[in-house]
Amino acid sequence: MIEPFIIDAHAHTGFPNLFFSPEIDAPSLLRRMDQFRIQYAINLCSMRSLVGDQRGELEKAAQEFESSGRRIFYLGFFSPKRKNDLKLLEEASTLPGFKGIKIHPSFDGVSADDDAYDAIWEFAARFDLPIVAHTWSVSSYNPVQILSTPEKFERFVQKYSKIRFVLGHSGGRGEGRVQAIRMAQEYDNVYMDFGGDIYCHQYFEQMAEELPDNKVLFGSDYPWIDCRSHLTRVYLANISTHLKRRILRDNALEVYRLEG
Amino acid sequence: MGVEEVIEKISREKREAVRELQLFDANIWLGKPLHFPLTRELHITLVQEVLQSYSIHGGLLSHWDGPALSPQEGNSALLEVGEKLPENLNTIWTGLPLLPREQDPLPGLGAPDARLRGVRLFPKTHRYTLSPWVVGGLCRWCIEYGLPLFLWHVEIEWESLYNLAQTFPDLRIILESQWQKVLYHNRVLYSLLNDNRNVFLETSNFVGQDFITHAVSALGAERLLFGSFLPQNDPWASVGMLMDADISEHDKRLIAGENMRTILQGVRL
Repeated sequence: MIEPFIIDAHAHTGFPNLFFSPEIDAPSLLRRMDQFRIQYAINLCSMRSLVGDQRGELEKAAQEFESSGRRIFYLGFFSPKRKNDLKLLEEASTLPGFKGIKIHPSFDGVSADDDAYDAIWEFAARFDLPIVAHTWSVSSYNPVQILSTPEKFERFVQKYSKIRFVLGHSGGRGEGRVQAIRMAQEYDNVYMDFGGDIYCHQYFEQMAEELPDNKVLFGSDYPWIDCRSHLTRVYLANISTHLKRRILRDNALEVYRLEG
Repeated sequence: MGVEEVIEKISREKREAVRELQLFDANIWLGKPLHFPLTRELHITLVQEVLQSYSIHGGLLSHWDGPALSPQEGNSALLEVGEKLPENLNTIWTGLPLLPREQDPLPGLGAPDARLRGVRLFPKTHRYTLSPWVVGGLCRWCIEYGLPLFLWHVEIEWESLYNLAQTFPDLRIILESQWQKVLYHNRVLYSLLNDNRNVFLETSNFVGQDFITHAVSALGAERLLFGSFLPQNDPWASVGMLMDADISEHDKRLIAGENMRTILQGVRL
């Protein structure tokens, strides 16, 4: 019997709404975690959190943390358009399993470099919490992605240089990824996960060449994307076993300060 | 056992398991990719070596010049490499409606090129509709020679594809999950596949949660075909979805290559 050892740093629960997913909830996620040796998952918020039910979703996530045997940790969502998010996040900061902040400039329609985000960076610095952001490349088919290109976060990365900051989706598949790599090279506090359909050929080999070992985190984007599409890539990549371990486990333990 | 030993053990097991699949890749691309600015072009001299590194035993080559420049330029590039291709590799040409009759090389008139194993259409890029009255002549030609028709899902209107599949039940249509993932479309996709036994789904970007297992259960393993989308995509992504799916080994081998080989056995040159 091999004990679970992987950390999935990019998961969600709840209906995706935009499409049919055969699995959507925390018990299903937990079953998959057991199947694929995933010790912990980080829930980067549900659609309900994004559209406004922050209090209810934080309470639900706290319950899921307990009912999962303290294996599904969670972040709180910050929207610069909602006045009471900071208050709710401050309350959540004392809840067990609460591990940081998620922001999604494209979803909120507010550019990542807008002053409206300063409050959450200041909050994260005050509570020593990591921030995970949706990031992508400029997209011909999804124009709002321009609000979340990696370099737009840079002014805050520089200002709050102690905050562990994760570029979710590695900046996408285009120029955003170049910027993500540059920022991860340049700033000690910048990391990247490859949750979502970041299936770039030889991604891991490139990361091994260009980045320190502590920068890349495994993430599935469950239940939008199946962890099976990423795990075999890591296992069979032409990189050292040590780096595979860093990607699958150690880097997320460090960013989220989890006990292994 | 330590974590690194576990990782090495799982990696070894996966490496062995993938060899059992006898992969045949329906989706390999030569030329300079559109939409993927960071992708390194796959040169014909490297194809065999790259495929071997992923335990892929054969496949179908397409050329980016087809959608990016013109069907004729893409097909010419494939003709050029065709003479040097080993037996395990063949080609998919880009097609156009047969009227107006345009410059060659195009599929649809006379006997197909000896290495041709399929025709792909890009209706949106090349500005026509997938209506039977527009592409019917080419579809009849494909049926005559047993050639499958390939379509990226981003290049079609779903209603048109449904009508085409109904109009030409003897035409094998392979719907490809590129160049963006098939995810937001599955409420349409299932009905299309359910109603049309002549439509198959290529899986390189069919990556939603438990999608392979669910689709096999709902539609049958004979309806799915493995593709990598090399060199844009990492083949281990679609291999991983297949290898770890909760389906029988028999069904995995069907999807990995047997379904596509069966379709290609129907090609009459």
